[in-house]
Order: sequence, then C-alpha cells, then structure tokens
Amino acid sequence: MSAQSSVSYAVGQNVAFLTRQITQDTINRYAEASGDHNPLHVDPEFAATTQFRGPIAHGMLVLAYVSEGLTGEFGEAWLKSGRLKARFRGAAKPGDTITISGRVTHVDGANTKCDILARNQLDEVLISAAAEVRR
Amino acid sequence: MPPSLATLEKGYRFAPVEFDLSHEWVRSYVNAVADQAISGVGAYAPPMSLAALAIRALLEQSPLPPGSIHVGQELSFLRPAAIGERLYARAEVLSRTGRQGWVMMGVRLAVMDAAEIVVMDGRATITFPVDAMVAA
Repeated sequence: MSAQSSVSYAVGQNVAFLTRQITQDTINRYAEASGDHNPLHVDPEFAATTQFRGPIAHGMLVLAYVSEGLTGEFGEAWLKSGRLKARFRGAAKPGDTITISGRVTHVDGANTKCDILARNQLDEVLISAAAEVRR
Repeated sequence: MPPSLATLEKGYRFAPVEFDLSHEWVRSYVNAVADQAISGVGAYAPPMSLAALAIRALLEQSPLPPGSIHVGQELSFLRPAAIGERLYARAEVLSRTGRQGWVMMGVRLAVMDAAEIVVMDGRATITFPVDAMVAA
C-alpha cells in the first residue's frame, strides 16, 4: 500500500488490498472496544438460535478493515476527506479469512472514487462499498 | 434502565454525549481491529474508531435489542481526529419502517469537536425483529 497523496490513479487500478483473519477472540476484543456486546456476536449459545447458526463478527469490525485498506492507500487524505457508503451483504464468522480489495472507478482532478469489496475465503461478498477521497 | 433502541420512534434525538479519544482506548481499538496502517499517518485515531466510540456512547443510552443486524453504513470523515482529543456525538432516528416482522431503522450520527466543527458524519441502518420490542 502506498499512503502517498502524490500517487496518481487510473480507472481500473486495484487499490486498498489487505487480508485479515477473524476469530472469536477478534470478535470479543472488538466487542470490548466498541461496547457492542450484542449476543449475536459474543454469545455462541444465543447465536446458534439465529439465522446465522453461530456468532458473527460486527459489521463495523469488517468495515474497519475496509477503512484500514483505504488509509494505507490514501494516507491522511482518507482521514480528512474520505466518504464511504457500505452495504453489509453477508456475515463474517470465526475462522473466516477476509480479503479487502478495491478498484478505482472514477478520477476527476483531486477526486478519486473506488468500489471496495470485503470477501471471505469462499469468495462470498460480505461488504460492498463505494469510497471517495479528495487528495 | 435505559430505553432499548427498539422502542425509539422516528425523530427521536439522543442526548448529546461527549467522549475522549484516550490513548488507552485508541490502543485497545487499534489492537482489536489489528490496524497496521494508522501508525503510518501520524498521531491520529483510525477514522472508524470515531464511529465506534460515538456508537458506544450512544448505546449506553439506548442498548441494541438482541438479534439486531447492521445492514448499512454511510460515513464522511471531514478531518483527522487526534489521539487524546475530546469529541461530542449527536444522533437522531431518521427513519423507522416495518416489514415482515422486522423493523428497519436509520440513525444519523455526527461527531463534533469542541468548536462544534463536524469531524465525522454518518448514517447507520439497522434491522431487528419486531419481537425485540416486546423483550425491550
């Protein structure tokens, strides 16, 4: 990842790539930090009774990986001008490997737009997002 | 006991909350999300941590009902937030609709600095089962 605001981008260019492992410990640590102790995330017994049949990661945890990828790509510009519109389309579960990948869709002067996906090891899309940054 | 989010109607405004981006909390957040990029930018908090901490403060007012699912999130980051900074969050229920036994709720969340300059603005969309309202 570049984190260089002087880098020029082209439509179709791949950006913001990273991978992360999800474990129940990861989820529990995020629950502690965020204060979101929804039993769907931290109570396997409760989560087993839901449509997910087990605990799932917080959507904001996976979205944090998306933002990390964009921070790595665009540096401080992401922190002061980043815009993100995300749809949570699937759930990350303990044991999953999450891959964040992005593609530049539009470049107009200082504005760069990207489509971002978070996928699991089965190539299922967990988050689709549109990001925009002014560099 | 604070009212559950499940009981809130459209137009409900949360009481403003203030919070500190303390070194200790930011460190725990960065460890939780294993953020390896933020240290390369400067002494700033990860932008998503603003949303996480603001939501944390708001959930202390109105806990999420069991079985809630976060279905969408929009965020605009308007300036970097320094570690150690004191910030304020305001939130409002923008929409609330029901369909097939589930409630869909949109919540606007804005984070401001001491000068009331918006640092982050966003909207969360969550859904939860109608029977969570009974439990609440």
